[in-house]
Amino acid sequence: MSFQYGVTQERDWNALSDAEFRRIVRAEFETHYPAHLRYAPRRLRWHENRDWYLRMAEKGWIAPNWPVEYGGMGLSAAKLLIFQEEAERWGIGRYQDHGTLMLGPVLLRWGTEEQRRQYLPDVLSCKAIWCQGYSEPGSGSDLASLKTRAVREGDAFVITGQKIWTTLAQDATHMFVLVRTDFEAKKQEGISFLLVDLAQDGVTIRPIRDMAGHEEFCEVFLDGVRTPASNLVGELNKGWTVAKSLLGFERIHVGSPKMPEYGLTVLEKIARARGLWDDPAFREKYVRLKLDVAHLSDAYNHFTGIVVRGEALGQDISYLKIWATESFQRIADLVIETAGPFAALNGEVEIGDTSVDVLASFYKARPPTIYGGSNEIQRNILAQQVLGLPRR
Amino acid sequence: MTEQTETIALLRNSAAGFAKFDGKRIRGWRGNAPGFDRDLWGRMAAQGWFSILAAEEEGGLGLGVEAAAAVAEQLGRACAPEPFVASGVLGPALLSQATNQALKQDLMPAVLSGDLLVSLAWQPAGGALPPESTGVTAQRRNGGLVLDGDARFINPAQADGYMVLAREPGGLLLVWVDAKAFDGALSEEPGPDGIPSGRLRLSGIELADSAVLMSGNRVAEAVQGALDQAVIVQSAELCGLMQRALDMTLDYLKTRQQFGVAIGSFQALQHRSVDLFIQQELARHATAAAIQKAEAGAAGRDLSLAASSAKARAAEAAMTIGTQAIQLHGAIGFTDEYDLGLYVNRIVRLAASLGNAAWHRRRFGDLSEGA
Repeated sequence: MSFQYGVTQERDWNALSDAEFRRIVRAEFETHYPAHLRYAPRRLRWHENRDWYLRMAEKGWIAPNWPVEYGGMGLSAAKLLIFQEEAERWGIGRYQDHGTLMLGPVLLRWGTEEQRRQYLPDVLSCKAIWCQGYSEPGSGSDLASLKTRAVREGDAFVITGQKIWTTLAQDATHMFVLVRTDFEAKKQEGISFLLVDLAQDGVTIRPIRDMAGHEEFCEVFLDGVRTPASNLVGELNKGWTVAKSLLGFERIHVGSPKMPEYGLTVLEKIARARGLWDDPAFREKYVRLKLDVAHLSDAYNHFTGIVVRGEALGQDISYLKIWATESFQRIADLVIETAGPFAALNGEVEIGDTSVDVLASFYKARPPTIYGGSNEIQRNILAQQVLGLPRR
Repeated sequence: MTEQTETIALLRNSAAGFAKFDGKRIRGWRGNAPGFDRDLWGRMAAQGWFSILAAEEEGGLGLGVEAAAAVAEQLGRACAPEPFVASGVLGPALLSQATNQALKQDLMPAVLSGDLLVSLAWQPAGGALPPESTGVTAQRRNGGLVLDGDARFINPAQADGYMVLAREPGGLLLVWVDAKAFDGALSEEPGPDGIPSGRLRLSGIELADSAVLMSGNRVAEAVQGALDQAVIVQSAELCGLMQRALDMTLDYLKTRQQFGVAIGSFQALQHRSVDLFIQQELARHATAAAIQKAEAGAAGRDLSLAASSAKARAAEAAMTIGTQAIQLHGAIGFTDEYDLGLYVNRIVRLAASLGNAAWHRRRFGDLSEGA
């Protein structure tokens, strides 16, 4: 390898037993992750968890999903699942990790060697933080109708348009963006995938305050923003294919049972604090949800088994997201019901001799049924592509 | 493929080939004693299906619930009325734990060959499920036994012999009672699938000591273990039933035209279909997870937890799919002529037998609490 990504691994992780690998990862997380950041009730900002992720970068653990030769940990599917499970188990807050999660895999699959050399090292060092510019005010579920335009001028594309619901764009230095480059072609066929440096004139990032009072997503205005033509990923007008290829492993991740499992522990805590734990009416509802999560876990294990065996995931994986996110919402509903008057108090609330953020799960449970293809879109996909029901 | 997965695949394939849906046959047995085909029962035995859970030294195959579940799922898909779970699985599973070796050696070959149809009788008139709540009592008298009491929900009703769970002052007894030993004690109550449940009102039935299959502390545990195995296999049968009910519904949605289009193109119906599909998949994976735990040697409380997890989902999913299947079909789905009703009636029967979804949820909650 002529080019070095500047990251070496202490050992061949895949050569370890699963148990040994889990022990090492768990020890690292438990020893070094700041206790006050565990299970944060909202997405953390870069200034809050930067130290932790710089430590991960230093250690060579920032990109567990990338191959070793590109500076990643090179984890097998089985080891990667363990890594993620341990992060979720310890309640480690994500940063704006689209660089490792999305951009890396995209450049490895579709990018040129020059693009990889230019962009991947800064992702590995966290010098560059990437966000994803997909949704627009007029293009949500119907993403392919997007209107942000990129026009070729000499050696550059000039981009004009507006992106919205861009997660943590205020922390980002770069954005990968879907733009329209052919205005005559059919919707999906005129879209390209571009890389953009956000530190330039014409870029305006405006955080949007959500109903929980947090600022986790933004509007991004692009007004004549220039990016070199060499920042086109994949072929011109083939951006839809590039973007769609990202939806592999991610779809398992949104179906993970860890979030609802955590919701159940919050529910138990509140029920005990309010003396409702042994109440038969509560128990009937609680056990039903507990089984919903247990069976989510059974289904999740089925799909991770497919990934670990190196087989391809089918379209049916979409139901995992539906069940995981809606189970979490049902749990959040019961949290509110069980909390009674305490659901009228925001933030960390004292109940009996414990304290808990009652409304955190209520707010946290809202976005997942909307993002990543709303659950209604997932149901359309399942109905038509898995059950074979006819389109209108 | 491991030897185990190969065996399972073979069993599944042969069961799929053997058990074909036959609406005329199923309708023919409704209300006609015993409610299913004894000749077919013999042929099922010849396939080795009743030998699955019996140990090899007892002439069985020494396989686990995974093999039995593979067969049961196919029988569910065919909506077969034969009591594979209640007799073909539960019978050998329990009998193989009997400590009365002489009696066991006498009965087991006939059970495995299908010549001897057995039922377990224990549920009291109120329908309680725990072995300890059996409706039958035993008293030792003159070197023998006397049975009294009332056992209900017996499946199959007309068996050749009954394993009766009886309570005596010192604990539980499992007793073998030949159908000829009592006269007029058996009555029948009809089931929604046209197959009757039996009820034994026993009054002073005298038996020899040699009729005791097992006694002492182990009885409750043995019966509970066999019941939990049966519940897991029954969940697989429910999976087969709900799969076919949903398949029929999806086919109907694709072909039935109203307002000039296939009604399956309506988003409201598409989304409901997906929700039914999700329930079907959850039931499949919950059952598979329970099977896996049983195959890994789960026993006692762990096996009960696995069984309740599977049945809680399978019963509820099957009922949801069954009832929604009727709605999505419209009026035709409620007719006796259309086959869907056969599936739904069978689902209603199995969902309510050996503990319904609510009962298993409660048990799951209580048992996980004791963790």
